[in-house]
Amino acid sequence: MNHGPLLFLAAFFALASSWCGFVLAPQLQVGQMQQTNTLSGGATYPVARPGEAQQGLQVYRANGCASCHSQQVRQSGTVCDVVLTEAGTNQAALIPALVTLKCGTIPTQAEQRAAATAKDKPPARLQEFSEPGARDLLAHLPQPVRQGLTREEANADVKALTAAGAKASIWIVPVGPDISRGWGRRRTVAEDFLFDYPVMPGVQRVGPDLANVGLRLPDASWHLRHLYAPRLYEKGSTMPPYRFLFEKRKIGKEPSPEALALPAEFAPEAGLEIVPKQAAKALAAYLTSLRADAPLFVAPLVAASPTTAAATNAPGASEPVSTHAVPTTAPTK
Amino acid sequence: MPATPESAEPRAGPAAVPIVLLVLPFLILYWGMIYFDRNSGWFSQEVYAPYYSVAELTLYQPPTGGLDLARGKAVYETICALCHNNDGMGKPNQAPAFVGSEWVLGSPNRMIRIPLVGLAGPVKVKDQEWNLAMPNMGAALSDDDLAAVLTYIRVSWGNKASVITPAQVKAVKKEIGNRTQPWSASELLAVP
Repeated sequence: MNHGPLLFLAAFFALASSWCGFVLAPQLQVGQMQQTNTLSGGATYPVARPGEAQQGLQVYRANGCASCHSQQVRQSGTVCDVVLTEAGTNQAALIPALVTLKCGTIPTQAEQRAAATAKDKPPARLQEFSEPGARDLLAHLPQPVRQGLTREEANADVKALTAAGAKASIWIVPVGPDISRGWGRRRTVAEDFLFDYPVMPGVQRVGPDLANVGLRLPDASWHLRHLYAPRLYEKGSTMPPYRFLFEKRKIGKEPSPEALALPAEFAPEAGLEIVPKQAAKALAAYLTSLRADAPLFVAPLVAASPTTAAATNAPGASEPVSTHAVPTTAPTK
Repeated sequence: MPATPESAEPRAGPAAVPIVLLVLPFLILYWGMIYFDRNSGWFSQEVYAPYYSVAELTLYQPPTGGLDLARGKAVYETICALCHNNDGMGKPNQAPAFVGSEWVLGSPNRMIRIPLVGLAGPVKVKDQEWNLAMPNMGAALSDDDLAAVLTYIRVSWGNKASVITPAQVKAVKKEIGNRTQPWSASELLAVP
Protein backbone atom coordinates (compact mmCIF):
# COMPACT_ATOMS: atom_id res chain seq x y z
CA MET A 1 0.00 0.00 0.00
CA ASN A 2 2.37 2.65 -1.22
CA HIS A 3 -0.48 4.84 -2.32
CA GLY A 4 -2.94 4.30 0.49
CA PRO A 5 -4.05 7.90 0.93
CA LEU A 6 -4.35 8.38 -2.81
CA LEU A 7 -6.51 5.26 -3.20
CA PHE A 8 -8.64 6.35 -0.27
CA LEU A 9 -9.16 9.77 -1.75
CA ALA A 10 -9.97 8.35 -5.19
CA ALA A 11 -12.54 5.98 -3.72
CA PHE A 12 -13.95 8.73 -1.54
CA PHE A 13 -14.40 11.12 -4.44
CA ALA A 14 -15.92 8.45 -6.67
CA LEU A 15 -18.50 7.51 -4.04
CA ALA A 16 -19.08 11.09 -2.91
CA SER A 17 -19.75 12.32 -6.43
CA SER A 18 -22.29 9.60 -7.09
CA TRP A 19 -23.92 10.32 -3.71
CA CYS A 20 -24.13 13.99 -4.69
CA GLY A 21 -25.67 13.12 -8.03
CA PHE A 22 -28.13 10.48 -6.94
CA VAL A 23 -29.04 11.54 -3.39
CA LEU A 24 -28.15 15.14 -2.69
CA ALA A 25 -29.18 16.73 -6.00
CA PRO A 26 -32.67 15.13 -6.10
CA GLN A 27 -33.13 16.01 -2.43
CA LEU A 28 -32.30 19.65 -3.14
CA GLN A 29 -34.56 19.62 -6.18
CA VAL A 30 -37.73 18.04 -4.87
CA GLY A 31 -37.06 17.28 -1.20
CA GLN A 32 -38.92 20.36 -0.01
CA MET A 33 -41.86 19.87 -2.35
CA GLN A 34 -45.23 20.94 -1.00
CA GLN A 35 -48.80 21.05 -2.21
CA THR A 36 -49.39 23.56 -4.97
CA ASN A 37 -52.44 25.12 -6.57
CA THR A 38 -54.03 24.04 -9.81
CA LEU A 39 -54.15 26.56 -12.60
CA SER A 40 -57.90 26.71 -13.03
CA GLY A 41 -59.73 27.59 -9.86
CA GLY A 42 -56.63 27.38 -7.67
CA ALA A 43 -57.63 24.22 -5.82
CA THR A 44 -55.00 22.60 -3.62
CA TYR A 45 -53.14 19.78 -5.35
CA PRO A 46 -52.53 16.99 -4.64
CA VAL A 47 -54.78 15.89 -1.81
CA ALA A 48 -53.95 12.76 0.15
CA ARG A 49 -55.63 9.55 -0.98
CA PRO A 50 -58.47 8.26 1.21
CA GLY A 51 -57.43 5.77 3.88
CA GLU A 52 -58.57 2.64 2.06
CA ALA A 53 -56.70 3.74 -1.04
CA GLN A 54 -53.56 4.21 1.04
CA GLN A 55 -53.89 0.62 2.23
CA GLY A 56 -54.42 -0.32 -1.40
CA LEU A 57 -51.05 1.20 -2.29
CA GLN A 58 -49.42 -1.40 -0.02
CA VAL A 59 -51.45 -4.17 -1.69
CA TYR A 60 -50.36 -2.80 -5.07
CA ARG A 61 -46.78 -2.94 -3.85
CA ALA A 62 -47.04 -6.38 -2.25
CA ASN A 63 -48.48 -7.97 -5.39
CA GLY A 64 -45.84 -6.51 -7.66
CA CYS A 65 -48.26 -4.56 -9.81
CA ALA A 66 -45.49 -2.03 -10.45
CA SER A 67 -43.38 -4.63 -12.25
CA CYS A 68 -45.86 -4.70 -15.14
CA HIS A 69 -47.66 -1.36 -14.90
CA SER A 70 -46.07 2.07 -14.98
CA GLN A 71 -47.57 5.25 -13.54
CA GLN A 72 -45.68 7.62 -15.77
CA VAL A 73 -47.25 9.51 -18.62
CA ARG A 74 -44.67 10.97 -20.98
CA GLN A 75 -45.13 14.08 -23.04
CA SER A 76 -43.15 15.00 -26.12
CA GLY A 77 -44.37 18.56 -26.58
CA THR A 78 -47.05 21.15 -26.08
CA VAL A 79 -49.11 22.84 -28.77
CA CYS A 80 -51.72 25.57 -28.83
CA ASP A 81 -55.15 25.42 -30.41
CA VAL A 82 -57.13 28.50 -31.29
CA VAL A 83 -60.76 28.24 -30.28
CA LEU A 84 -63.38 30.62 -31.58
CA THR A 85 -65.74 31.31 -28.70
CA GLU A 86 -67.90 34.19 -29.86
CA ALA A 87 -68.52 35.40 -33.39
CA GLY A 88 -69.23 39.02 -32.51
CA THR A 89 -71.36 41.14 -34.81
CA ASN A 90 -69.06 41.83 -37.74
CA GLN A 91 -69.42 38.67 -39.85
CA ALA A 92 -68.36 40.50 -42.98
CA ALA A 93 -64.91 40.98 -41.47
CA LEU A 94 -64.72 37.70 -39.58
CA ILE A 95 -65.33 35.34 -42.50
CA PRO A 96 -62.48 36.70 -44.66
CA ALA A 97 -60.27 36.58 -41.55
CA LEU A 98 -61.10 32.90 -41.02
CA VAL A 99 -60.39 32.12 -44.67
CA THR A 100 -57.09 34.01 -44.83
CA LEU A 101 -55.87 32.40 -41.58
CA LYS A 102 -56.59 29.01 -43.18
CA CYS A 103 -58.82 28.06 -40.30
CA GLY A 104 -60.81 24.91 -40.71
CA THR A 105 -62.94 22.24 -39.14
CA ILE A 106 -60.85 19.91 -37.07
CA PRO A 107 -61.84 16.24 -37.41
CA THR A 108 -63.69 14.95 -34.39
CA GLN A 109 -62.23 12.17 -32.31
CA ALA A 110 -64.61 9.67 -33.85
CA GLU A 111 -63.48 10.64 -37.35
CA GLN A 112 -59.83 10.44 -36.36
CA ARG A 113 -60.35 7.03 -34.82
CA ALA A 114 -62.20 5.74 -37.87
CA ALA A 115 -59.45 7.02 -40.14
CA ALA A 116 -56.73 5.51 -37.97
CA THR A 117 -58.33 2.05 -37.93
CA ALA A 118 -59.12 2.00 -41.65
CA LYS A 119 -55.71 1.24 -43.10
CA ASP A 120 -56.35 2.23 -46.71
CA LYS A 121 -57.92 5.59 -45.95
CA PRO A 122 -55.82 8.72 -45.55
CA PRO A 123 -55.81 10.20 -42.04
CA ALA A 124 -58.50 12.72 -41.23
CA ARG A 125 -57.20 16.17 -42.05
CA LEU A 126 -58.03 19.72 -41.26
CA GLN A 127 -60.67 20.87 -43.74
CA GLU A 128 -59.89 24.46 -44.62
CA PHE A 129 -62.81 26.81 -44.73
CA SER A 130 -64.22 28.27 -47.81
CA GLU A 131 -66.76 31.00 -47.26
CA PRO A 132 -69.90 28.83 -46.81
CA GLY A 133 -67.94 26.53 -44.47
CA ALA A 134 -66.98 29.48 -42.32
CA ARG A 135 -70.58 30.65 -42.20
CA ASP A 136 -71.66 27.18 -41.14
CA LEU A 137 -69.07 27.16 -38.37
CA LEU A 138 -70.33 30.38 -36.85
CA ALA A 139 -73.58 28.62 -36.05
CA HIS A 140 -71.81 26.08 -33.82
CA LEU A 141 -69.59 27.97 -31.39
CA PRO A 142 -67.32 27.48 -29.48
CA GLN A 143 -65.23 25.63 -32.05
CA PRO A 144 -61.52 24.93 -32.37
CA VAL A 145 -60.43 26.43 -35.68
CA ARG A 146 -56.67 25.94 -35.77
CA GLN A 147 -54.63 23.21 -34.20
CA GLY A 148 -51.05 22.43 -33.29
CA LEU A 149 -49.64 25.96 -33.28
CA THR A 150 -46.81 27.51 -31.33
CA ARG A 151 -47.75 30.10 -28.75
CA GLU A 152 -46.63 32.98 -30.98
CA GLU A 153 -48.70 31.74 -33.93
CA ALA A 154 -51.72 31.24 -31.68
CA ASN A 155 -51.35 34.73 -30.21
CA ALA A 156 -51.16 36.22 -33.73
CA ASP A 157 -54.28 34.30 -34.78
CA VAL A 158 -56.22 35.42 -31.72
CA LYS A 159 -55.17 38.97 -32.44
CA ALA A 160 -56.40 38.71 -36.04
CA LEU A 161 -59.72 37.18 -34.98
CA THR A 162 -60.19 39.77 -32.23
CA ALA A 163 -59.55 42.50 -34.75
CA ALA A 164 -62.47 41.10 -36.74
CA GLY A 165 -64.72 41.50 -33.70
CA ALA A 166 -64.76 37.88 -32.59
CA LYS A 167 -63.60 36.39 -29.33
CA ALA A 168 -61.06 33.60 -29.46
CA SER A 169 -59.17 31.74 -26.78
CA ILE A 170 -56.17 29.46 -26.72
CA TRP A 171 -56.13 25.88 -25.53
CA ILE A 172 -52.83 24.55 -24.24
CA VAL A 173 -52.64 20.94 -25.38
CA PRO A 174 -49.90 18.54 -24.27
CA VAL A 175 -49.06 15.99 -26.98
CA GLY A 176 -47.19 12.72 -27.05
CA PRO A 177 -47.74 9.02 -27.73
CA ASP A 178 -48.94 8.27 -24.19
CA ILE A 179 -51.39 11.15 -24.32
CA SER A 180 -52.67 9.96 -27.73
CA ARG A 181 -53.38 6.58 -26.17
CA GLY A 182 -55.62 8.31 -23.66
CA TRP A 183 -53.39 7.43 -20.71
CA GLY A 184 -53.39 10.98 -19.44
CA ARG A 185 -53.87 14.59 -20.37
CA ARG A 186 -50.45 15.83 -19.35
CA ARG A 187 -47.12 14.39 -18.30
CA THR A 188 -46.66 12.96 -14.84
CA VAL A 189 -44.76 15.25 -12.48
CA ALA A 190 -43.28 14.73 -9.01
CA GLU A 191 -46.24 16.51 -7.39
CA ASP A 192 -48.53 13.66 -8.42
CA PHE A 193 -46.73 11.30 -6.03
CA LEU A 194 -46.44 13.70 -3.08
CA PHE A 195 -48.55 11.61 -0.69
CA ASP A 196 -47.45 8.17 -1.90
CA TYR A 197 -44.98 6.13 0.08
CA PRO A 198 -43.31 4.34 -1.49
CA VAL A 199 -43.64 5.95 -4.90
CA MET A 200 -44.60 3.36 -7.52
CA PRO A 201 -43.68 4.77 -10.92
CA GLY A 202 -43.17 1.25 -12.27
CA VAL A 203 -40.32 -0.37 -14.16
CA GLN A 204 -41.80 -1.64 -17.41
CA ARG A 205 -44.99 -1.56 -19.39
CA VAL A 206 -46.28 -5.05 -19.85
CA GLY A 207 -49.76 -3.69 -19.20
CA PRO A 208 -51.22 -0.24 -19.72
CA ASP A 209 -50.08 2.79 -17.78
CA LEU A 210 -52.13 3.35 -14.62
CA ALA A 211 -51.34 7.00 -13.82
CA ASN A 212 -54.93 7.97 -14.72
CA VAL A 213 -56.73 4.66 -14.46
CA GLY A 214 -59.19 6.12 -11.93
CA LEU A 215 -60.13 8.69 -14.53
CA ARG A 216 -60.86 6.28 -17.38
CA LEU A 217 -62.25 3.44 -15.25
CA PRO A 218 -63.86 5.06 -12.22
CA ASP A 219 -65.95 2.02 -11.26
CA ALA A 220 -64.46 0.05 -8.34
CA SER A 221 -66.60 -3.01 -9.12
CA TRP A 222 -65.10 -3.10 -12.64
CA HIS A 223 -61.64 -3.30 -11.04
CA LEU A 224 -62.74 -6.08 -8.70
CA ARG A 225 -64.11 -8.19 -11.55
CA HIS A 226 -61.02 -7.44 -13.61
CA LEU A 227 -58.69 -8.51 -10.78
CA TYR A 228 -60.66 -11.73 -10.41
CA ALA A 229 -60.76 -12.51 -14.14
CA PRO A 230 -58.75 -10.18 -16.40
CA ARG A 231 -59.87 -12.07 -19.50
CA LEU A 232 -63.41 -11.04 -18.78
CA TYR A 233 -62.65 -7.71 -20.44
CA GLU A 234 -59.62 -8.36 -22.63
CA LYS A 235 -59.66 -11.72 -24.44
CA GLY A 236 -55.93 -12.29 -24.67
CA SER A 237 -54.96 -10.49 -21.47
CA THR A 238 -51.66 -11.69 -20.05
CA MET A 239 -52.43 -10.34 -16.61
CA PRO A 240 -52.60 -13.13 -14.03
CA PRO A 241 -55.91 -13.46 -12.20
CA TYR A 242 -55.56 -12.40 -8.56
CA ARG A 243 -58.09 -14.90 -7.21
CA PHE A 244 -56.41 -15.19 -3.82
CA LEU A 245 -57.68 -11.67 -3.11
CA PHE A 246 -61.21 -13.11 -3.23
CA GLU A 247 -63.10 -15.61 -1.15
CA LYS A 248 -65.26 -18.31 -2.66
CA ARG A 249 -67.93 -19.16 -0.15
CA LYS A 250 -71.37 -20.65 0.22
CA ILE A 251 -74.25 -18.28 -0.23
CA GLY A 252 -75.91 -17.73 3.12
CA LYS A 253 -79.54 -16.77 3.55
CA GLU A 254 -79.11 -14.09 0.92
CA PRO A 255 -76.32 -13.46 -1.59
CA SER A 256 -73.81 -10.91 -0.30
CA PRO A 257 -74.24 -7.43 -1.75
CA GLU A 258 -70.47 -7.42 -2.34
CA ALA A 259 -70.47 -10.62 -4.39
CA LEU A 260 -69.06 -10.18 -7.89
CA ALA A 261 -71.55 -10.24 -10.75
CA LEU A 262 -69.76 -12.56 -13.16
CA PRO A 263 -70.91 -14.02 -16.49
CA ALA A 264 -71.45 -17.78 -16.68
CA GLU A 265 -67.96 -18.42 -18.04
CA PHE A 266 -66.26 -17.17 -14.87
CA ALA A 267 -69.06 -17.67 -12.34
CA PRO A 268 -68.53 -20.15 -9.48
CA GLU A 269 -70.60 -23.32 -9.06
CA ALA A 270 -74.23 -22.97 -8.08
CA GLY A 271 -74.72 -22.07 -4.44
CA LEU A 272 -71.32 -20.35 -4.19
CA GLU A 273 -70.36 -16.71 -4.51
CA ILE A 274 -67.13 -14.75 -4.99
CA VAL A 275 -66.59 -12.03 -2.39
CA PRO A 276 -63.62 -9.65 -2.37
CA LYS A 277 -61.37 -9.72 0.69
CA GLN A 278 -60.32 -6.46 2.32
CA ALA A 279 -57.09 -6.40 0.28
CA ALA A 280 -59.00 -6.53 -3.01
CA LYS A 281 -61.34 -3.74 -1.90
CA ALA A 282 -58.38 -1.61 -0.84
CA LEU A 283 -56.60 -2.25 -4.15
CA ALA A 284 -59.71 -1.29 -6.11
CA ALA A 285 -60.01 1.88 -4.00
CA TYR A 286 -56.37 2.69 -4.75
CA LEU A 287 -56.81 2.12 -8.49
CA THR A 288 -59.89 4.33 -8.66
CA SER A 289 -58.01 7.03 -6.73
CA LEU A 290 -55.29 7.18 -9.40
CA ARG A 291 -55.75 10.31 -11.41
CA ALA A 292 -53.10 12.87 -12.23
CA ASP A 293 -54.65 15.31 -14.64
CA ALA A 294 -54.89 18.60 -12.76
CA PRO A 295 -53.43 21.51 -14.72
CA LEU A 296 -50.36 22.74 -12.83
CA PHE A 297 -47.80 25.45 -13.42
CA VAL A 298 -45.18 22.77 -14.08
CA ALA A 299 -47.45 20.89 -16.49
CA PRO A 300 -49.86 23.39 -17.99
CA LEU A 301 -52.95 22.53 -19.96
CA VAL A 302 -56.26 24.20 -20.46
CA ALA A 303 -58.98 22.69 -18.32
CA ALA A 304 -60.83 20.21 -20.45
CA SER A 305 -63.28 17.51 -19.59
CA PRO A 306 -61.82 14.06 -18.89
CA THR A 307 -60.96 12.09 -22.00
CA THR A 308 -62.72 8.96 -20.84
CA ALA A 309 -64.24 8.33 -24.23
CA ALA A 310 -60.89 8.45 -25.98
CA ALA A 311 -59.09 6.27 -23.49
CA THR A 312 -57.93 2.83 -24.36
CA ASN A 313 -56.44 0.25 -22.08
CA ALA A 314 -54.48 -1.61 -24.72
CA PRO A 315 -50.79 -0.74 -24.77
CA GLY A 316 -50.55 -1.52 -28.49
CA ALA A 317 -53.30 0.84 -29.53
CA SER A 318 -51.05 3.73 -30.46
CA GLU A 319 -53.30 5.30 -33.02
CA PRO A 320 -52.47 8.86 -33.92
CA VAL A 321 -55.51 10.17 -32.12
CA SER A 322 -55.39 13.58 -30.62
CA THR A 323 -57.07 13.85 -27.27
CA HIS A 324 -58.79 17.12 -27.74
CA ALA A 325 -61.80 17.51 -25.58
CA VAL A 326 -64.34 20.20 -25.04
CA PRO A 327 -63.24 22.50 -22.21
CA THR A 328 -65.59 22.88 -19.30
CA THR A 329 -64.52 26.43 -18.69
CA ALA A 330 -63.39 28.79 -21.36
CA PRO A 331 -60.12 30.34 -20.21
CA THR A 332 -60.98 33.84 -21.31
CA LYS A 333 -64.18 35.71 -20.84
CA MET B 1 31.62 -20.19 -15.96
CA PRO B 2 31.42 -16.55 -16.10
CA ALA B 3 27.96 -15.75 -15.26
CA THR B 4 26.35 -13.44 -17.68
CA PRO B 5 24.94 -10.67 -15.62
CA GLU B 6 21.33 -11.33 -15.05
CA SER B 7 19.24 -8.88 -16.94
CA ALA B 8 17.82 -6.36 -14.60
CA GLU B 9 14.18 -6.64 -13.65
CA PRO B 10 11.97 -4.95 -16.16
CA ARG B 11 10.92 -1.53 -15.01
CA ALA B 12 8.20 0.69 -16.30
CA GLY B 13 9.55 3.89 -17.64
CA PRO B 14 7.68 7.06 -18.22
CA ALA B 15 5.26 6.80 -21.13
CA ALA B 16 3.33 9.60 -22.70
CA VAL B 17 -0.47 9.46 -22.37
CA PRO B 18 -2.02 9.53 -25.81
CA ILE B 19 -3.10 13.05 -26.56
CA VAL B 20 -6.59 11.87 -27.46
CA LEU B 21 -7.18 10.72 -23.88
CA LEU B 22 -6.37 14.20 -22.67
CA VAL B 23 -8.70 15.86 -25.12
CA LEU B 24 -11.57 13.42 -24.71
CA PRO B 25 -12.51 14.36 -21.11
CA PHE B 26 -12.74 17.98 -22.11
CA LEU B 27 -14.94 17.13 -25.06
CA ILE B 28 -17.19 15.06 -22.80
CA LEU B 29 -17.31 17.89 -20.27
CA TYR B 30 -18.21 20.34 -23.03
CA TRP B 31 -20.97 18.09 -24.32
CA GLY B 32 -22.25 17.64 -20.76
CA MET B 33 -22.43 21.37 -20.23
CA ILE B 34 -24.40 21.85 -23.41
CA TYR B 35 -26.69 18.98 -22.45
CA PHE B 36 -27.41 20.47 -19.04
CA ASP B 37 -27.89 23.90 -20.48
CA ARG B 38 -30.51 22.59 -22.89
CA ASN B 39 -32.30 20.03 -20.78
CA SER B 40 -31.98 20.69 -17.10
CA GLY B 41 -33.66 24.06 -16.67
CA TRP B 42 -30.65 24.47 -14.37
CA PHE B 43 -31.98 21.90 -11.95
CA SER B 44 -35.15 23.86 -11.30
CA GLN B 45 -37.76 21.58 -9.78
CA GLU B 46 -40.36 23.31 -11.91
CA VAL B 47 -38.93 22.33 -15.27
CA TYR B 48 -39.79 18.91 -16.65
CA ALA B 49 -39.22 17.68 -20.16
CA PRO B 50 -40.37 18.65 -22.79
CA TYR B 51 -39.80 22.14 -21.38
CA TYR B 52 -36.29 23.55 -21.27
CA SER B 53 -36.61 26.48 -18.91
CA VAL B 54 -39.00 28.34 -16.65
CA ALA B 55 -39.26 31.02 -19.33
CA GLU B 56 -40.51 28.50 -21.86
CA LEU B 57 -42.91 27.06 -19.30
CA THR B 58 -44.32 30.51 -18.62
CA LEU B 59 -45.02 30.85 -22.33
CA TYR B 60 -47.36 27.88 -22.18
CA GLN B 61 -49.38 28.95 -19.15
CA PRO B 62 -53.03 29.26 -20.11
CA PRO B 63 -53.99 32.85 -20.90
CA THR B 64 -55.99 34.29 -18.02
CA GLY B 65 -57.25 37.37 -19.85
CA GLY B 66 -57.20 39.43 -16.67
CA LEU B 67 -58.99 36.63 -14.89
CA ASP B 68 -57.19 35.66 -11.70
CA LEU B 69 -59.77 33.42 -10.12
CA ALA B 70 -57.41 31.84 -7.61
CA ARG B 71 -56.58 35.25 -6.18
CA GLY B 72 -60.22 36.32 -6.23
CA LYS B 73 -61.23 33.14 -4.45
CA ALA B 74 -58.60 33.64 -1.76
CA VAL B 75 -59.74 37.22 -1.09
CA TYR B 76 -63.39 36.16 -1.15
CA GLU B 77 -62.90 33.43 1.38
CA THR B 78 -61.01 35.63 3.82
CA ILE B 79 -63.26 38.70 3.60
CA CYS B 80 -66.64 38.20 1.95
CA ALA B 81 -67.41 34.59 2.82
CA LEU B 82 -67.92 35.35 6.53
CA CYS B 83 -71.35 36.78 5.74
CA HIS B 84 -72.03 35.87 2.11
CA ASN B 85 -70.94 32.26 2.57
CA ASN B 86 -68.39 30.22 0.58
CA ASP B 87 -71.00 29.22 -1.97
CA GLY B 88 -72.22 32.78 -2.54
CA MET B 89 -75.70 31.91 -1.26
CA GLY B 90 -75.60 34.47 1.55
CA LYS B 91 -76.94 33.87 5.05
CA PRO B 92 -80.48 34.53 6.22
CA ASN B 93 -80.84 37.84 8.11
CA GLN B 94 -77.14 38.52 7.62
CA ALA B 95 -76.31 38.98 3.94
CA PRO B 96 -78.10 38.44 0.63
CA ALA B 97 -76.99 35.87 -1.96
CA PHE B 98 -74.64 36.71 -4.83
CA VAL B 99 -75.91 33.90 -7.03
CA GLY B 100 -78.23 35.36 -9.65
CA SER B 101 -78.34 38.73 -7.86
CA GLU B 102 -79.12 41.66 -10.14
CA TRP B 103 -76.60 43.79 -8.19
CA VAL B 104 -73.83 41.33 -9.05
CA LEU B 105 -74.78 40.63 -12.64
CA GLY B 106 -75.66 44.24 -13.45
CA SER B 107 -73.57 47.34 -13.97
CA PRO B 108 -69.93 46.93 -12.86
CA ASN B 109 -69.88 50.58 -11.74
CA ARG B 110 -72.60 49.92 -9.16
CA MET B 111 -71.01 46.72 -7.95
CA ILE B 112 -67.56 48.26 -7.46
CA ARG B 113 -69.05 51.08 -5.36
CA ILE B 114 -70.64 48.77 -2.77
CA PRO B 115 -67.53 47.31 -1.07
CA LEU B 116 -65.67 50.63 -1.23
CA VAL B 117 -67.91 52.51 1.22
CA GLY B 118 -70.60 49.99 2.15
CA LEU B 119 -74.35 49.86 1.62
CA ALA B 120 -76.99 50.67 4.25
CA GLY B 121 -80.75 50.79 4.39
CA PRO B 122 -83.50 49.02 2.51
CA VAL B 123 -82.44 47.21 -0.63
CA LYS B 124 -84.26 44.74 -2.85
CA VAL B 125 -82.26 41.69 -3.97
CA LYS B 126 -83.94 39.06 -6.13
CA ASP B 127 -87.42 40.27 -5.08
CA GLN B 128 -86.55 40.06 -1.40
CA GLU B 129 -86.39 43.09 0.87
CA TRP B 130 -83.29 43.50 3.03
CA ASN B 131 -82.66 46.26 5.56
CA LEU B 132 -79.15 45.86 6.90
CA ALA B 133 -75.84 47.71 6.80
CA MET B 134 -72.78 46.42 5.01
CA PRO B 135 -69.49 48.01 6.15
CA ASN B 136 -66.80 49.18 3.73
CA MET B 137 -65.18 45.76 3.51
CA GLY B 138 -63.28 46.52 0.31
CA ALA B 139 -61.84 49.91 1.24
CA ALA B 140 -58.54 48.48 2.42
CA LEU B 141 -58.04 46.21 -0.60
CA SER B 142 -55.73 47.06 -3.47
CA ASP B 143 -57.23 47.71 -6.90
CA ASP B 144 -55.96 44.35 -8.11
CA ASP B 145 -57.40 42.42 -5.16
CA LEU B 146 -60.76 44.15 -5.35
CA ALA B 147 -61.01 43.56 -9.11
CA ALA B 148 -60.05 39.91 -8.63
CA VAL B 149 -62.63 39.28 -5.93
CA LEU B 150 -65.44 41.10 -7.76
CA THR B 151 -64.61 39.16 -10.92
CA TYR B 152 -64.64 35.95 -8.93
CA ILE B 153 -68.12 36.79 -7.64
CA ARG B 154 -69.32 37.65 -11.15
CA VAL B 155 -68.18 34.43 -12.80
CA SER B 156 -68.56 31.82 -10.05
CA TRP B 157 -71.43 29.58 -8.91
CA GLY B 158 -73.16 29.84 -12.27
CA ASN B 159 -72.93 33.64 -12.47
CA LYS B 160 -71.93 34.83 -15.91
CA ALA B 161 -71.09 38.51 -16.05
CA SER B 162 -68.23 40.53 -17.45
CA VAL B 163 -64.77 40.72 -15.90
CA ILE B 164 -63.93 43.70 -13.69
CA THR B 165 -60.47 45.13 -14.31
CA PRO B 166 -58.24 47.00 -11.84
CA ALA B 167 -58.55 50.03 -14.15
CA GLN B 168 -62.32 50.09 -13.64
CA VAL B 169 -61.84 49.93 -9.86
CA LYS B 170 -59.36 52.79 -10.02
CA ALA B 171 -61.75 54.91 -12.06
CA VAL B 172 -64.59 54.35 -9.59
CA LYS B 173 -62.34 55.15 -6.62
CA LYS B 174 -61.47 58.43 -8.30
CA GLU B 175 -65.15 59.24 -8.92
CA ILE B 176 -66.27 58.69 -5.34
CA GLY B 177 -63.25 60.49 -3.90
CA ASN B 178 -63.21 60.82 -0.10
CA ARG B 179 -66.75 59.65 0.54
CA THR B 180 -67.15 57.46 3.63
CA GLN B 181 -70.96 57.64 3.93
CA PRO B 182 -72.47 54.26 2.89
CA TRP B 183 -74.61 54.18 -0.23
CA SER B 184 -78.33 53.82 -0.20
CA ALA B 185 -79.95 51.60 -2.79
CA SER B 186 -81.55 54.55 -4.60
CA GLU B 187 -78.21 56.35 -4.90
CA LEU B 188 -76.66 53.26 -6.46
CA LEU B 189 -79.55 52.77 -8.87
CA ALA B 190 -78.89 56.29 -10.17
CA VAL B 191 -75.36 55.18 -11.20
CA PRO B 192 -75.29 53.93 -14.79
